[in-house]
Amino acid sequence: MSLRLAPSHAVFLAIVLAFTVAMNYSAITAKFALNNLVILVPASVLALILIGTILLSRPIPEDVPEESLRKTLGDLLLLGLFCGFCSLMFVIGFDVATFFFIWIGIVVCGERSLWKPPAFALAFAVVVTTTFGALFPFPIVTLVLQ
Amino acid sequence: MIDFTALSAALELMFSSFGPWIFVIPGLLIGLIFGAIPGLQVSMAMALFLPLTFTMDFIQSIMFLTSIFTGGVYGGGVTAILMNIPGSSSSVATAFDGYPMTCKGGQNQALGLSLGASVIGAFIGYSVLFVLIQPLAAVVLKLGPLEMVLVIAWGLTLIATLSERSVAKGLLAGMIGLILSQVGMSTTGVLRATFGSSYLLDGVQVVPAMIGIFAASELLRIRERQTLSTVEGAPPVAFGPIIRAMFSTFKYPSVLLRGSGIGVLIGAVPGVGSSVANLVAYGEVRRTSSTPEKFGTGIPEGVIAAESANSSSEGGSMTALLALGIPGGAATAVLMAAFSYHNLVGGPSFIRDQGDLVYAIILGNLVQVLLLGLVGLLSLRVLGMVVQVPLRYLVPSVLALCVWGGFGVTGTIAGPLTVAVFACLGWLMRRHHYPVAATVIGLLLGRMAEGEMVRSLQISGGHIFGYLLERPISMLLLALMLFSIGAAFLKARRIHRRANISAT
Repeated sequence: MSLRLAPSHAVFLAIVLAFTVAMNYSAITAKFALNNLVILVPASVLALILIGTILLSRPIPEDVPEESLRKTLGDLLLLGLFCGFCSLMFVIGFDVATFFFIWIGIVVCGERSLWKPPAFALAFAVVVTTTFGALFPFPIVTLVLQ
Repeated sequence: MIDFTALSAALELMFSSFGPWIFVIPGLLIGLIFGAIPGLQVSMAMALFLPLTFTMDFIQSIMFLTSIFTGGVYGGGVTAILMNIPGSSSSVATAFDGYPMTCKGGQNQALGLSLGASVIGAFIGYSVLFVLIQPLAAVVLKLGPLEMVLVIAWGLTLIATLSERSVAKGLLAGMIGLILSQVGMSTTGVLRATFGSSYLLDGVQVVPAMIGIFAASELLRIRERQTLSTVEGAPPVAFGPIIRAMFSTFKYPSVLLRGSGIGVLIGAVPGVGSSVANLVAYGEVRRTSSTPEKFGTGIPEGVIAAESANSSSEGGSMTALLALGIPGGAATAVLMAAFSYHNLVGGPSFIRDQGDLVYAIILGNLVQVLLLGLVGLLSLRVLGMVVQVPLRYLVPSVLALCVWGGFGVTGTIAGPLTVAVFACLGWLMRRHHYPVAATVIGLLLGRMAEGEMVRSLQISGGHIFGYLLERPISMLLLALMLFSIGAAFLKARRIHRRANISAT
């Protein structure tokens, strides 16, 4: 038996555990009735058993991510950029947020040219904002494009 | 079973002029585009173009809307194959084998197989509808919540088979999906785990969640590659190989028939539809295969099972609309709106009094399916170019489209935020080899399962097993499910034993 886990795996299991406990606490305090818990409680109990099984089982070699630190940091950078894009698009406008996300995203993904990323990002942001703006039945927050 | 007087009137209605066909090809193209862009739903396209149909006659408007529906169901599979992004929940299982085929340079084969399976599946679906519309409607009327619980449970059994490396990880991923599906207002009106956010009142939005967990996390994983295909000098998308692959679909008749049969039956159950049909069909074909371990690595059977099921379920969902007047999902609800605009209502009296219109719709759809083969083939060359786009441009562009798609589904910041949260979750899960598809299945089916389970409990007064014994269709479904799982288990043991013997 071994309790050794990759840190990111431990973080993942901790998140699942915390979320499961929070969900059950919320559902049980809302209404302690079979109709309300018919899926949640059995699924949660099984999830807890499975977390225990995964913690106690011997980690197979593939469980340890073989990616380099550079790749992981690059992933995290792009993921952070993506989360920032999702949360800021309503603040700075969909057009501007899309433009900057695409520009920086292309650079993070390895493009060396100085002019291609902003040129592509500009064309992409204009096409996407105008096309989706015309298709969606809801108002879109924009800073530059109307 | 077939009313020949109505049928001849229908033939006259459909083929005496070009009128009913004018908007079919534009409709197929609109459906293909909406289906292929993650987050843009077929039902959204149909609703968007519904006002246009107010100037058309009834058959013209229904042909236009059903062609969007047909094109959209197929379009969802194209991005699932090329980018591992199911355009809709009905294409989740298509990605399981379609995307690995693309990664191995077999995108032509995968696209051809999916087009062939879609055309044949939809053709079978509408043919069944043509012959069996009245008896099928009678069967559908007998299905209650307990039968739906069993159908959904059948779909959920696929979770256990999705992780070859660790069953525990596959099951945990499925349980995460089931737990997440319980966020928000329950079917009995109890508010759970909204954590103070009004955006969570209706629960986690499935489509943005699916986009985030499938697409965003996969794009992060592959971003260091040059192009989508991992094979150096992968063949470009070309007509010849796609057409050859399309016809090679006929080499798998049992997979086609099983996928299509499951699709028709599940599609006919209102509220279940193609999102469950493709998963059940994939699971069944995998379970009964002599090489189940090859599923998920990019084999034709996986693509054919999923695509034939989701396309044939379209015919099934039309059964519920035409024969019962019940829309099986959002797309058929829009069709129902078009019906009501022309002062028509589906149901037994519609079949009895307007038999010519019923047959005209079915015949029109049969021809439409064949046209899909042509339109799909012509558009695949353009859509398929995506595998040659440098990933440093493709990854940020598709990520941005995911966010826009998430917004398109909800119309609020909840969509983009759901995409972001599930992208992070998907990244962590993929990093440690948890099958993200299992989470999506749990999320898709959990809410449905709860609703049907609660209704079954209420109807049975809490005595669900006694109630089960009173319902022959439930017993039959349960027996079929247990038989299928048991047979798969025995087969796996036999294969394992044979492998051991040959090793020694």
